[in-house]
Amino acid sequence: MYPTLYMPIPATIERIEDETPDIKTFTIRPVEPIAFAAGQFVELAVPGIGEAPFTPSSSPKITDFMEITIMRTGRVTDWLHGMKVGDEVGVRGPMGRAYPMEEFHGREILVVGGGCGVGPLRSLLLEVIQDLQAYPRVIVRYGAKTPDSIVFRDAQTHGWGQDGAMDVMLTVDEASDGWDGHVGLITEILEEDYLDCHAEDGVAVMCGPPVMMKFGTEKLLQRGYRPENIYLSMEKNMSCGIGQCGHCRMGVYYCCKDGPVFTYDEIQDDPRVWDD
Amino acid sequence: MKWTICGSSSLDDFLGFLAVGRQTYALEQLENGAYCLARADAWQPGLHTLGEYRQTEPLKALFFPAREFIGRWGELAGRDPMPERIVFGVKNCDLSSLAIFDHVFLDGVARDTYYAEARDKTILVSSDCSSQLEVCFCPAVGEQPYARQGFDINIAETPDGYVIESGSEKGKALLESAADYLEPAADELVAVLEQQRAKRYSELVEQSHAHGVKPGTDFRAAVEGAFDSGLWADFAEDCVECGACNFICCTCHCFLLADGQDANGQAARTKLWDACLFSGFAAVAGGGNARPLRAERLRNRFDKKFSYFPRVMERYACDGCGRCTEACIANIDIRDVLRRAVDVSDTLHAHSSDHRAD
Repeated sequence: MYPTLYMPIPATIERIEDETPDIKTFTIRPVEPIAFAAGQFVELAVPGIGEAPFTPSSSPKITDFMEITIMRTGRVTDWLHGMKVGDEVGVRGPMGRAYPMEEFHGREILVVGGGCGVGPLRSLLLEVIQDLQAYPRVIVRYGAKTPDSIVFRDAQTHGWGQDGAMDVMLTVDEASDGWDGHVGLITEILEEDYLDCHAEDGVAVMCGPPVMMKFGTEKLLQRGYRPENIYLSMEKNMSCGIGQCGHCRMGVYYCCKDGPVFTYDEIQDDPRVWDD
Repeated sequence: MKWTICGSSSLDDFLGFLAVGRQTYALEQLENGAYCLARADAWQPGLHTLGEYRQTEPLKALFFPAREFIGRWGELAGRDPMPERIVFGVKNCDLSSLAIFDHVFLDGVARDTYYAEARDKTILVSSDCSSQLEVCFCPAVGEQPYARQGFDINIAETPDGYVIESGSEKGKALLESAADYLEPAADELVAVLEQQRAKRYSELVEQSHAHGVKPGTDFRAAVEGAFDSGLWADFAEDCVECGACNFICCTCHCFLLADGQDANGQAARTKLWDACLFSGFAAVAGGGNARPLRAERLRNRFDKKFSYFPRVMERYACDGCGRCTEACIANIDIRDVLRRAVDVSDTLHAHSSDHRAD
């Protein structure tokens, strides 16, 4: 619609949901539908202020609107958190490489999330749920700092695990009154005591802060997951989103066009892979 | 087919004809001997020249401007169409650098339509280097002081006359339209040019050798081999991270999409040159930074040019123009960095071979 891909198309904020004290889910309706695949990202822009990369957290089957779960952590997200229903934003995308769903079919899927990183994973899970019989087992392991900082709390504590649809377990680094779940790091609930999995042929999908991705990957390798079966949603400062501006280079890759979803075997040789 | 200016005409007449109807960029020599790219409506004899060596500013600025307006919010019209342009006196280092920009802006996952238009509407008239700057080292990175490809028309001056040839369909058509000014170049004239080119090349090889950078050196292996060495921290002691080397570089393509307001207060977006030497270049929201140290950023510049591009394009993103050396206020000479990388890498490699022998 614009003559250049560097300009976003307008979108309206239709709904804002508080997830945690510093995380909100924004429902935006672009002026034209945007079809994306789970794991791809978009650039979300505040007019005249700036833009930043986010992976939608809504089902990829829905193209009229898109949910994006955003932690307030910098200049653009400060602005976004100050916006109201009806305000205009801009969106460019989708960009990058998605989760290869066809590779996942028929295999056990372990989904490992940390903090706000569960956004892209929710998009994946919403797609998986629609076709649950295609997967022998779907396991979710999620860690948050505190019970208050659990994102998509209702789905995590009730919805996804309901009637045994998926094997869901949560942990928090620090408990508070009323928490009767696990307390400890995410890597703990990936141990044998808490995770019964078919690591040798299963697929693991992980998204979270860099430090969690690093230690989480080490744990999955220990458990016997193959490097080519560990899918990581990497996070860099993707700006143009199309492999031109140079900001998100990771060795021979650009996170924006070659990722953001990488298998561990693709990036394990880069000594700086876990740098922020 | 090679041509020369016919007896009844002159170079100025020929170039004046080529420039008709085109926005004209040509070299202009300043008092200090440096050339700059001057814009005019026509070829201006006496002021414009093809130049002896490359101009100070990189050619990329004509295709990838330092500040390019992208669009206003809610305004669907693109910018006004660009005029037809012609650039005279392009030197091979700059010409070769355009392959990097074509790779980035045309051949990737998406095309930059503004860049594509600028490329499409610009005739490139290159010319051989007839002299060299002290900072030049193109043979060390596999280039030479004359164009082999990428030009529409190339003009080489010899004491016996000009040798003119086309390097594209557009250039061929343009030369055909300029037939009145041209006649076929004699074999003897072409032979003179070949000798002259060989001499120029060997002079540049000699200058490169004098600075410790030899043609045929595997700079990819050197930079990759020196990756974990203290070399980068040594140079970072002097570097002030001004970004001049990035901006002046004929191949650096990184940019920032900057949002702000136009003069009327309307939200607008601009594309600006960015520099990987800047501390915020790889920073993410929340305080993370993939390259917090200046040494890491300086190393990144060499890693991108001498490792990344060889891996994805089988060429260095350096054409030996020496602009970064000229521009560096800390007097960091790219040839010194490369030479030290070779030394460090050789030393490290020798040590690891020793260990294996043990």
